Amino acid sequence: MFRSRVVTLGVAALVLTACGGNGAQPQKKTELTLYNDKGAWTKYFDEMGALSKQSIGLGMKPTGYTDSAQYQAFIKASFRTNVKPDLFTWQTGGMLEEIVKQKQVADTTDIWQQAIQAGDLSKDLAPYYTIGGRQYCVPMNVAYWGMFYNKKIFGKYGLEAPKTWDDLIKVADTLKKNGVKAFYHTSVLFSFVWFEQLMAGTDPDLYDRLATGKAKYTDPGVVQVMEKWKSLIDAGYFINPGDKTDPGDVLKNGKAAMVSFGTWFNTSMTQRNMKSGEDYDFFVIPNVNPALPKTSMIFESGPLCSLTKAADPAANQKYLKWWTTSEAQGKWASSRGDVSANPKVSIADKALGTVTKDAGGGQYRLVNRYFEATPPPVLTAALDGFSKFVTEPGSYKEVLETIQKAADEYWSAHQ
Amino acid sequence: MSGARRRIGPRGEVLLGRFGHGYVAPAVLLVAGLLYAPFLWTAYLSFTRYDGLEPAQWIGGHNFGKLIEDPALLTSIRNTLLWVVGTMVLPVGLGLLVAVLSYDIKGGVWFRVPFLLPYALSGAGLAMVWSPILSHGGIANTLLGVDTAFLQDAPVNTVAMLLVWTWQQLGVNMLLFVVGLQSIPREPIEAARLDGAGGWQLFRLVIWPLMRPLTAVVVGLALVASLKTFDIVWVLTQGGPGRNSETLAVTMYKETFVASDYGYGSAVAVMLTVVTGLASYLYLKRQVAS
Repeated sequence: MFRSRVVTLGVAALVLTACGGNGAQPQKKTELTLYNDKGAWTKYFDEMGALSKQSIGLGMKPTGYTDSAQYQAFIKASFRTNVKPDLFTWQTGGMLEEIVKQKQVADTTDIWQQAIQAGDLSKDLAPYYTIGGRQYCVPMNVAYWGMFYNKKIFGKYGLEAPKTWDDLIKVADTLKKNGVKAFYHTSVLFSFVWFEQLMAGTDPDLYDRLATGKAKYTDPGVVQVMEKWKSLIDAGYFINPGDKTDPGDVLKNGKAAMVSFGTWFNTSMTQRNMKSGEDYDFFVIPNVNPALPKTSMIFESGPLCSLTKAADPAANQKYLKWWTTSEAQGKWASSRGDVSANPKVSIADKALGTVTKDAGGGQYRLVNRYFEATPPPVLTAALDGFSKFVTEPGSYKEVLETIQKAADEYWSAHQ
Repeated sequence: MSGARRRIGPRGEVLLGRFGHGYVAPAVLLVAGLLYAPFLWTAYLSFTRYDGLEPAQWIGGHNFGKLIEDPALLTSIRNTLLWVVGTMVLPVGLGLLVAVLSYDIKGGVWFRVPFLLPYALSGAGLAMVWSPILSHGGIANTLLGVDTAFLQDAPVNTVAMLLVWTWQQLGVNMLLFVVGLQSIPREPIEAARLDGAGGWQLFRLVIWPLMRPLTAVVVGLALVASLKTFDIVWVLTQGGPGRNSETLAVTMYKETFVASDYGYGSAVAVMLTVVTGLASYLYLKRQVAS
């Protein structure tokens, strides 16, 4: 009796397991899940979901994480389970290469070719999404980095957006004389901003070589950049890096007159009811080295990806294709007050519109943001290092040696 | 029990003896699956190079060698020890003080309420509340009229975070001590008072020894909690600037999930487990012996 019950239970369990298994036929989906590490943007993703439902009959439900590390761990773990997102955001550079090598990401070469032909994506953007001659993911967004400045403060002291590095320093000096801190910087997360800006504006080739392990953080060129950075901190141009005031508030209340961020920072301004061209404006940061042929501009693009083993690969591809269209990109850019990856989209904000047009026209040397360009273990050491440096500028040599140690270990196993 | 046996009968008893362990099997499987298996898996990963994607590659004791040479680890250990000592002095010590002072006085219950309220906040929520207070140019600077970045210089930042921790944890320690005080029989205290003992003497010679079992629990819990300090540090400083406020738990998290070095992160986890286990064992052994 007991044995027969056990057998019955065992059979029932096996049947249930088989029913819940993953050997199922591909499903036809009408709503896709989109996992992302931009929890604060849920409102904008929801709006995109409503629009896509209307336009292509495919809804989208976002799940936003606010901690990037937790998000990445979740996505990596999801590759080994049946709880897979339909679509997910990621990073370009080594992070994308890592998951493409593991054959986890769906090929989007056809989407790219068609979008470039239709003028929906720029050819210049393709290298960031190309691995082994094929494209993976599509640009969820693009952003150009420059300087947001408080126009009223500039007006008060008769200052104008600088065209050269010397002009920028003159602006900083004038502000200093008047008791205003020129620049924002922080010891948390975005501690790399001034490093990448000074490196890219001094020697962009060296910057690129650093990112690929072909140059060392202890090379004289890098040391000089750190010394330059130290001289700016010593001159008293920066606010205290321990100030945790939101950079949007820093700019609004004039704690610092200038904040260097990507164009997505524009959303912070509009959310604070600041008017572009009146309360604040944006300029491209001039090169430190005036001899460089083009102004270096930090650039970032966040990929929107689909998994190779997706529940409904056709629906995912359809959605990614739609995401590149001017209809989708226009909505995405206008709702967030940001620039767009689609060159056809006109940007309402005058300054950002000009930057987008110039960047698309090849006027700048686009330099991949440090966050994407640097492999995670080196990035972690570098963020810690820069965070120490901004609070103890005298520690720059020790900081560079520590980052190089992490780089040596990483590249010895990955070259 | 005998009634139950009668209902089961001799055949039932045989079956219970043969298959009785089956009743605890779900619990055993749950514990093994959710606690022991991940622990063993982490121990295995600590001997590998693993980025969370490519197959783990066995590299022997390399991660532990790296751990010993890592100067950041020394800082982590120093900060963790500071948390342990600080926790004993502040949340536990002050908890005891408040419990004793508020015990047996009129309105003592109301006196204790404000100390208990912060315990309702999570560690992360607590840190969010204190971040604008402690940041440079923040509320603390304004109120105290100083220009100190409380979250930057070591060990000031760890001490500042300890004070935040105290603000939250003092209440629950106080509550446990009050329970301990209330469980002490009145007779020995009254007898001591008749013998002329009072104040500090009464506390040291009568109350404190009688509260010993409860103190062992409070200190034990605080010891483990301080060894695994993570959320407050992560939200307030992320272990920085540099790595000067990292604790072992923060180091483990950063190496594993931020740097995607799962092997090295696992080695830190193993070390943290050994340290916590050893500290708990030594403490409990001492308590049992005394």
